[in-house]
Amino acid sequence: MKNGATTILDSGKIRFFLGEVLRNFSRNTGMQITAIGTVAITIVLLGLFLFVRAALADVGARLLDQIEISAYLRTDVTPTQTAAIGRYLAMDPRVASAHFVPKREGLAELRSQTRGAIDTALLTENPLPDKFRIKVRVPEEVGAVAATVTRLSGVDKVVYGQKIVQRLLQLGSVLRRVGIGVIVVFFVVAGVIISNTIRLTVFARRREIAIMQLVGATNTYIRLPFICEGLLAGVLGALLAVGILAIARVELWPRLLEALPWISLGASPVDARLLALELLAVGAAIGAIASWLSVGRHLRT
Amino acid sequence: MISLRGVSLVYPNGVRALDNVSLEIAKGDFVFLVGHSGTGKSSLLRLLYREANATTGEITVDGIRVDRLRRNRIPALRRHLGVVFQDFKLLTDKTVWENVAFAMQVTGAHTRDVMRQVPRVLDLVGLAHKSRMYPSELSGGEQQRTAIARALVNNPKILLCDEPTGNLDPANTTEITALLQRINLKGTTVVVATHNQAVVDRMRRRVVRLDDGRITTDEERGYYYLGLGQDQILSG
Repeated sequence: MKNGATTILDSGKIRFFLGEVLRNFSRNTGMQITAIGTVAITIVLLGLFLFVRAALADVGARLLDQIEISAYLRTDVTPTQTAAIGRYLAMDPRVASAHFVPKREGLAELRSQTRGAIDTALLTENPLPDKFRIKVRVPEEVGAVAATVTRLSGVDKVVYGQKIVQRLLQLGSVLRRVGIGVIVVFFVVAGVIISNTIRLTVFARRREIAIMQLVGATNTYIRLPFICEGLLAGVLGALLAVGILAIARVELWPRLLEALPWISLGASPVDARLLALELLAVGAAIGAIASWLSVGRHLRT
Repeated sequence: MISLRGVSLVYPNGVRALDNVSLEIAKGDFVFLVGHSGTGKSSLLRLLYREANATTGEITVDGIRVDRLRRNRIPALRRHLGVVFQDFKLLTDKTVWENVAFAMQVTGAHTRDVMRQVPRVLDLVGLAHKSRMYPSELSGGEQQRTAIARALVNNPKILLCDEPTGNLDPANTTEITALLQRINLKGTTVVVATHNQAVVDRMRRRVVRLDDGRITTDEERGYYYLGLGQDQILSG
């Protein structure tokens, strides 16, 4: 058998094969541009989503870190009760730290926070109760810890940023759901467009394909150029998307940081290089998978 | 080399193209399949390269049981066969050289083998000097010779021709017929489906006559019409 050496590559074979792929690719330029553009949009959205999610998680983590529970004690609390509360808080595994703030310190804090806007010298006696300042380990447990502390004897009122915590947790989950939905839709659209492009190429090349089948080319060999074509479209789309995202990061991100100084954003919540590689891989995967699935269907004879 | 035993072919639309056909073709044979259009000549060839599969019966080609061949083994079968058609089936955007080399390249042949084999077959069909031309720049006979070169480039033991001269004028027909004869003399088994009476009568080779899907006659050194040469028909 003279075709025993099918697995051995030589430069002539590679040149022939790449030539065929490029001819395929240049055959439906309009369709290819559409495919590349759709992949690019999909990947830009995916990149933005991953980036915003990471940034939001970053901000959220910082805000949640700052949230603490203030447990105000009744004015008639006994030292024994105070000690018992302190011991309980030290034992609760959900509590990261608990500080006892006697009312004298509380007044001093108030004075420094208001910076003299309230003249505390006017006060004949300290109106503030004693309190515990509690930090929890996991932000999601703030509510539960607060509820437990409220029930301890000697505790009058428990205050924490309920609204902020709930909003942040909700925003995170809504964003995740909407983001994933939009991205799934775009993935499907990109897949369908790539599949259509492949179908047009198969149609344009039906004579070549018929001859290949006639002279005994294997199915794998016939399919490979189409898979490569899809892969190329996917990678080019992803490259375009990464380029757009990189420009956006360099041009827009510093301005956003300037415009929103109150959000304590990290300089870089994600590893840009890693993200770029991941996005390229995703683009290649969309292209290869979509063409793999469609070429089999369109090549049936 | 080729053997059919009790072969019938019924297409999905119910048409019975071949009906209980049995045929033996020895290595190095030259066989004409003749008969009216639609009598099953093309169908018989299609069975041999497994473009269609027999409904019943056994088909063996070069030791391969073609009727039982699994789909993924079909490419291997076709590398043993060369097939030529009435409409040449050349790629218009490739040169003569590229069209011929294509058949080797897509089966994963080594570049070194391509460089050696393509000039050899182009020389055989007499087109070495036109290897850089495109099919549109060639005559019908030259296009068919390109197609024959492509069919031969993988060194098949069998060459199947479906109406190879159907689109050609008499001069080109003579040229192609002579080429097929030369290829046969080199040891290749040649099977030609045709209704060109002149070709069959001039060659005086084995003639298998099909009528309505059945083999009606099979004679060595036959004529297109049963027992009669062209001259006899005209004079009679």
